[in-house]
Amino acid sequence: MIHVEQVAKRFAAPRSARLGFKRAPAAFVQAVQDVSFDAPDGHITGLLGPNGAGKTTTLRMLAALITPDAGRMTVDGIDVVAQPRATLARMGVLSDARGLYPRLSARENIVYYGVLHGLSRDAANARAESLAHMLEMRQLLDRRTDGFSQGERMKTALARALVHDPAHIVLDEPTNGLDVLATRALREALRLLRTPEGGAKCIVFSTHIMSEVERVCDSVVVVAHGRTVARGTVDELLVQTGETDFEEAFVKLAFVEEQQAVREDVR
Amino acid sequence: MSGLSAMRTTFAVFRKEIVDALRDRRTLMVVLASSVLVGPLVLMALSLFLAGFEARAEKREIVVAGIEYAPSLANYLERQTYTLKPAPADYEARLRAARLSDPVVVVPHDFETALLHGEAPVIEVVSDSANKQAEGGVGRIQRLLAGFNRERIALSLALRGISGELLEPVQLEDRDLASAQTRATQLTGMLPFFVIMAVLYGALHAALDTTAGERERGSLEPLLMNPSQRAALVLGKWAAVACVSMLIAVLSCMSFVPGQWLLQSDNLKALFQFGLHEALMFLVLLLPFAAALSAVLMAVAIRCKTFKEAQANSAVIILAVSLLPLMSIFSEGESAWHLWLPGLAQNALMTRVLKGEGFGAEQVLVPLVVCIALTALCIVFIARRLHQAAVR
Repeated sequence: MIHVEQVAKRFAAPRSARLGFKRAPAAFVQAVQDVSFDAPDGHITGLLGPNGAGKTTTLRMLAALITPDAGRMTVDGIDVVAQPRATLARMGVLSDARGLYPRLSARENIVYYGVLHGLSRDAANARAESLAHMLEMRQLLDRRTDGFSQGERMKTALARALVHDPAHIVLDEPTNGLDVLATRALREALRLLRTPEGGAKCIVFSTHIMSEVERVCDSVVVVAHGRTVARGTVDELLVQTGETDFEEAFVKLAFVEEQQAVREDVR
Repeated sequence: MSGLSAMRTTFAVFRKEIVDALRDRRTLMVVLASSVLVGPLVLMALSLFLAGFEARAEKREIVVAGIEYAPSLANYLERQTYTLKPAPADYEARLRAARLSDPVVVVPHDFETALLHGEAPVIEVVSDSANKQAEGGVGRIQRLLAGFNRERIALSLALRGISGELLEPVQLEDRDLASAQTRATQLTGMLPFFVIMAVLYGALHAALDTTAGERERGSLEPLLMNPSQRAALVLGKWAAVACVSMLIAVLSCMSFVPGQWLLQSDNLKALFQFGLHEALMFLVLLLPFAAALSAVLMAVAIRCKTFKEAQANSAVIILAVSLLPLMSIFSEGESAWHLWLPGLAQNALMTRVLKGEGFGAEQVLVPLVVCIALTALCIVFIARRLHQAAVR
């Protein structure tokens, strides 16, 4: 169970690349203004939003990589800011940056993280085997990751994030750069992890691709301009917007300001 | 519990980084070749140069232009068991081009007549101060010719019935206080520099790879999503980098031990004594230095987003470490504060080892404390910067 309540974060904007000694006045970018959602166990929650909506920043705050300016986040009732290591131990995070160590094999990459999570080397190895089976990457396991394809890297990074069999799985745009087959395999894996046999995991998954959400997510959180603008199942959102096409519904929800601006321009 | 898990984390990180560094064969080979082999190779080249110099001194040859005008000088030189060699016609050009490695004695046409008339003919000793080989022989030739002068004086005084001793109311005698090893350090003085550079280049790649490299690959962010203590992660990384650097330090120091067997010059061989004892003294100084240098390089590199940027930034450290030993040349001799500067301290104390003077515990203590403090400071800094660095 992941609970995110009205989190906000702003960053100092990078100074403009202007020559000279005059420093530009301090500017801020409000990356996240007000994002809230609940992700229950045994449930896939989709975080849907256009590029730059604040999805990655929200997930980074959830992974205790950056501290929110406001709001509250808990994992199984444990506060992320107060006890980051306890919450991280309960989560498997596939972040936006998913670099592997090119001189290590896929297995070594996975086992390294397993040991950092407190598993014994043998246990981590056994987990690597079973994850490789689930993600259909057994033949990759003992190859060095240098020269892996985009999809092979993704699978390795995902296995690495899941090595400690976490109850919560947080994935930041996991289908980026994957082909159809790899995307399907990932979808199947996520569906399995959601079921009681798969461990009834709490899965949070950010994307900007509508069809992903329609196919796998049990509920959707629409994020735009750093705010949660709508929550509910796909059907609920269709009803709310009075649309039959989910893409139309999403555009209506996420791009309210842009559409108003266009309308004003037309007038 | 938390201490135990931190130790486990540190060890896991250490193990992974060591495996990673050792698998980077190409870099490792380049570092080994450039830092471990360069010292002994330079020593060998130096010894070849010296051997050639010694051989020429032993050959007792003197290159003279116009010796036919000076039978008396030729007679004197031959009595000193020197072999006279006529100078080539283009000796000036050859000396400039460093193709002639002996100075040339030039005798004027009217040498004998001028000598008879007491007109003090001028004999030139021609050399080129840029031609080190020839320049090295000038002193020997000048002493030889001064001997000729003294003989002539003694003879003419004896003819007049005056004792030659009158011309020398005071006797001069040289007494060189330098021990044999001190004299050798004039030649082997660059050795500490090579060893320090070896330590530096040993640490450089690993230090950059575990910090800026990790950022560039995008693997630092996922690494920090493990429930590990930041200090434990940094400690593991630093330990691995320091280990690689120390390994290079050991190899580099030990390479001089067999390196001296290859010395061509007997003189240098007798003077340069670098045994196991000296190597161990070097290591006492170098191991803490390697640890501190690894931490400093990592602290510089963690601020950089890419490996390339980190390389540019670490150039400052490389420059500082290679220029600091020059301080001992500019300031007069060793000062107490030299021991407080890392790099300079190690250089100064290693030079003492080579001189055969050694050092006491109190002299090692200062650089040791400085190195430990520097390491601790840098590790704390890196641990603090880690999260900031992970988020691009």
